[in-house]
Amino acid sequence: MFTAPGFPWLLRHELRVLWRGSILVRTHRHVIVPVLVVAVLFQGVALALARQVAAHPVALPTMLLAANINIVFLFALMFSRAMTSSIDVIYGRGDADFLLASPIPPDRVLAVRMLGVACSIAAPWMLLGGVLGNGLAVYGQYWGLCVYPMFFAEALLVAAAAFAFVVVLLRFISPQATRRAGHTLALITGVGIFVIGQAPRFVPQHVVAKFWASLLPGPDGGGLAFLFARGLLGEPFALSASLAFALAGFCIVWFFLAKPFADGVITAAASRPRGRPAAQTGQFRASPFAAALAKDLRLLGRFPGIFTQIIYRSLTLVPVAFILTGKFHMEAGMGAAVPLIVFLAGQLGLFFISVLAGCETIPELIASAPVLVRTPARAAAVASVYSTLFIIAAPLLAVLARAPQLLPSLALGIAGVLLSNVLLGQRMPIPLVRASFGKTSTGTVVGLILGVSVSTIWSFATWLIVAPNPLAWLTPGN
Amino acid sequence: MDGVHSGVISDTALTVRGLCKSFGRKVVENLDLTIRPGEFYALLGPNGAGKTTTLRMIAGLMRPDAGGIEVFGRDVLADPLGAKSIMAWIPDEPLLYDKLSPLEYLEFIAGLWRVEPGTARARAGELLETLGLWPHRHERCEGFSRGMKQKTVLAGALIHEPKFLLLDEPLTGLDAASSRLVKELLRAETEKGAAIILTTHILEVAERLATRIGILSGGALLAEGDLDTLKAQAGLTHGSLEDVFLHLTAVCS
Repeated sequence: MFTAPGFPWLLRHELRVLWRGSILVRTHRHVIVPVLVVAVLFQGVALALARQVAAHPVALPTMLLAANINIVFLFALMFSRAMTSSIDVIYGRGDADFLLASPIPPDRVLAVRMLGVACSIAAPWMLLGGVLGNGLAVYGQYWGLCVYPMFFAEALLVAAAAFAFVVVLLRFISPQATRRAGHTLALITGVGIFVIGQAPRFVPQHVVAKFWASLLPGPDGGGLAFLFARGLLGEPFALSASLAFALAGFCIVWFFLAKPFADGVITAAASRPRGRPAAQTGQFRASPFAAALAKDLRLLGRFPGIFTQIIYRSLTLVPVAFILTGKFHMEAGMGAAVPLIVFLAGQLGLFFISVLAGCETIPELIASAPVLVRTPARAAAVASVYSTLFIIAAPLLAVLARAPQLLPSLALGIAGVLLSNVLLGQRMPIPLVRASFGKTSTGTVVGLILGVSVSTIWSFATWLIVAPNPLAWLTPGN
Repeated sequence: MDGVHSGVISDTALTVRGLCKSFGRKVVENLDLTIRPGEFYALLGPNGAGKTTTLRMIAGLMRPDAGGIEVFGRDVLADPLGAKSIMAWIPDEPLLYDKLSPLEYLEFIAGLWRVEPGTARARAGELLETLGLWPHRHERCEGFSRGMKQKTVLAGALIHEPKFLLLDEPLTGLDAASSRLVKELLRAETEKGAAIILTTHILEVAERLATRIGILSGGALLAEGDLDTLKAQAGLTHGSLEDVFLHLTAVCS
């Protein structure tokens, strides 16, 4: 008699697929070595941090508030990641129908997928939080180890919520739009966390203190709102209750989604035809370069993550601006704008050329055409530079209007960073999860690291030129 | 477009001499092949026989270890761009950008082959109409079925009016009506003087369309000719191409 593969077997398969689909594994064969090195380094830092925490006990209400803030921020960060993961396991990977057609009970498939998403979103935070928890345990604060069950409990709840949310969204919008919603949520969360972190620098101290005081839990420990926080700090009842609550939430969502999943309603909603009318110029061109450039610009404009990625890259300037105007005492205004624009140009140039590298899914077509080998590469470079200049045109014009004397330095910086990063990106494109939606991405993390470094170097070089006294921050008293 | 084909005067469409290629093991071994203009040549063989490798070398996508290839008198190795300008290659997997519409795809291909814009526009409309893609010309290919994608690729291959077509399993994924349409289009191309080399595992297609058939096994040409010649070479007095093919490849292995 046939027995369907059990839950553990299916979960093992799911985790293996998720692991092999992760961006690190896709881009590096022996990723475990650098991961271990980083883990050891982190553990060392965490030990030092844990020693300080253990040596300087903090009042319980403050600890609870800190734990709750962590829980809330983590929920937001996990949720955006869980949304994109849910899209992947329902739609992107393309094996849902295959498993539904197998003799494995559909509800088991769904449960494993939801659990797989929970594991994948919990893992990085368990690793990060775990090193601090381990450190605390070393110094006798065994409650620190609660980070493992609590983060997993939170991931269970988040995965269930994200799955339900995605299923609802898929009824109304496409998988791409749902994915975009996930990315946008991640961006808002990231910037929100950063801005809140920077608030003490701009808001009067007493206002900040009053705000945090209003959030402190009362003598009852904060009730249900602080349940997870109390669990994180090792209170046995809260820990058990949090786990039970998360498991119940997970099971409820699973119960309600199991039937539509088994009926194929969820996967069908995700895979409805996506062909859309496109803006059409009808402009035939007799030059291979012009034809390749037009094609590249179209592919760039239609890259699924183009909007959120540009916003994301622009938002990376927020912390840099804070550092420049804060730590380095760079006065706000045009002086600070120049290195920021150069940095943004570098990041965008690298991103665009990487998108085009990833979009070039049929290099053999061009290879079979009567064109010089370098023509497509040149077209891609020009398309990337053109798109970058298009996006930074507004700040460029602002500089031109308000401080025209800075323009030569700015132009030099932009030209340098674009040339460097476009050349770099053609050889080492950055990893893009969805270069082609639903297909394997290209790129390497090394390219990403080098690209950021190159942008920073050019940005710094431009700053040295435009800043009246660039090394003033090194002078004592500044 | 006139510029592309003007001056293409040769009594042979394809001349392959002593072609060799190995990837650790020999994939194509001392292959000689001649195809005349207007001829429809079917290159058959079991899996791993070297069909696709041969086609890729002719298309200029892969350099042979030894041997020479000429397409309408143009040396593929010495003058690859000149040879590619009169060729079109269609692999089994559709070479298509999912994010482009069929019309945009044809714009791109026409640009690569330097087709005069006015000619390209008219030809694109004609091909899309013939292949039943006109109503979908503004839709992105990502939502297309495999057959629609294959037809879009075929339109791309024909927009520059190639003199020599290399087709690797071109009918995969097409429904019966589309398959017939494509066959008629290809036959029309040969009637205009173009030569076609096609690989397929659907032997009925080869039997019906090809003027000459070559059977490749282990990288070498086992037999060549029309069906009657092949039967004679196989020592069969009757039977279909399938019988001949199975007999010849079985004897060889």
